[in-house]
Amino acid sequence: MGVIGYGMCVIGAGLGIGLAAYAAATSMARQPEVQGRLFTVFILASAFIEALALIGFVVTLIG
Amino acid sequence: MDAFSKLPDELNALVESFKSHAAWGNLQVGVTQYSFYMYIACILLLVLVFRFCAKQKGQLVPKGRFVNAMEYGVEFVRDSILSDSLGDTWRKHFPFLATVFFFVLINNMLGLIPGMHPGTGCIGTTAAVALMSFVYFIVVGCRKRGVWGYIKSLAPKGVAFPINILVWLIEVFSTFLRLITLAVRLFCNMYAGHIVMGTFAILASLFFEPLLQQVTAQALAGSLASVAWIAVLIIIYLVEMLVAFIQAYVFTLLSTVYVQLAEQDD
Repeated sequence: MGVIGYGMCVIGAGLGIGLAAYAAATSMARQPEVQGRLFTVFILASAFIEALALIGFVVTLIG
Repeated sequence: MDAFSKLPDELNALVESFKSHAAWGNLQVGVTQYSFYMYIACILLLVLVFRFCAKQKGQLVPKGRFVNAMEYGVEFVRDSILSDSLGDTWRKHFPFLATVFFFVLINNMLGLIPGMHPGTGCIGTTAAVALMSFVYFIVVGCRKRGVWGYIKSLAPKGVAFPINILVWLIEVFSTFLRLITLAVRLFCNMYAGHIVMGTFAILASLFFEPLLQQVTAQALAGSLASVAWIAVLIIIYLVEMLVAFIQAYVFTLLSTVYVQLAEQDD
């Protein structure tokens, strides 16, 4: 049951990281000169989103 | 597949081994496997920093790989974490925030060496570091505005009277939530990353096992699959190296943003 719950939690995190990557890719295509700064922002945003998925993973294993 | 049926037991044993065990003494007074590696990381960090200071003192222009590498790290903290958000007052907060960055970074990195545990892979360590940065930004806010002034400043100005109190309550709640999210984010990243790496290592060894007992065509095919697991393991290991750095960066960046929020004029 917990594993199914974790799978559902990954849907949200995947959507979030996908949206962030989509936005980063389109902005880089429009304005290639901000690539470096955008990449940092993208990595940061995905780190935040990924943390939520990982919290689900750890709670599944521990709880 | 025979190997997959053994996986759940092995995984349970893996998760069990990630719980805190006493490496010396007991769980009340003693050293767990996490705090043991945390002490090693602290000693390593102290040795590195003192060697760096001793070597750098005599020279105006840094020479040699070691001194330059350390200077690059320090300048990275200064340029891309601190002075971006703190502005002119970065010098005042540099000692604390750089210590947090290097402590978390060296713990994460040391945990990646096979057979070692990350000091930050245990909720106790990350909660302690998060508590320190929590107290730090509250003290900075209190020094700037006075205790009562800081408590009042949590609510934004220009909100009408009854809503004011509600907003203040939500802000107080979210301030305490910062402490929890800082600790849990770092802990979960380290814990989950090591569980995933361990899972693929177990898979590789389970698929390779039949070949050691008897050389048959099926066992050979299984060992080919274990090569694929090892390839996945290496990729995940590289991602974990990135994560170890990014988590130290995120932790320090968030602490910096909190300090900046506590300190800014409004």
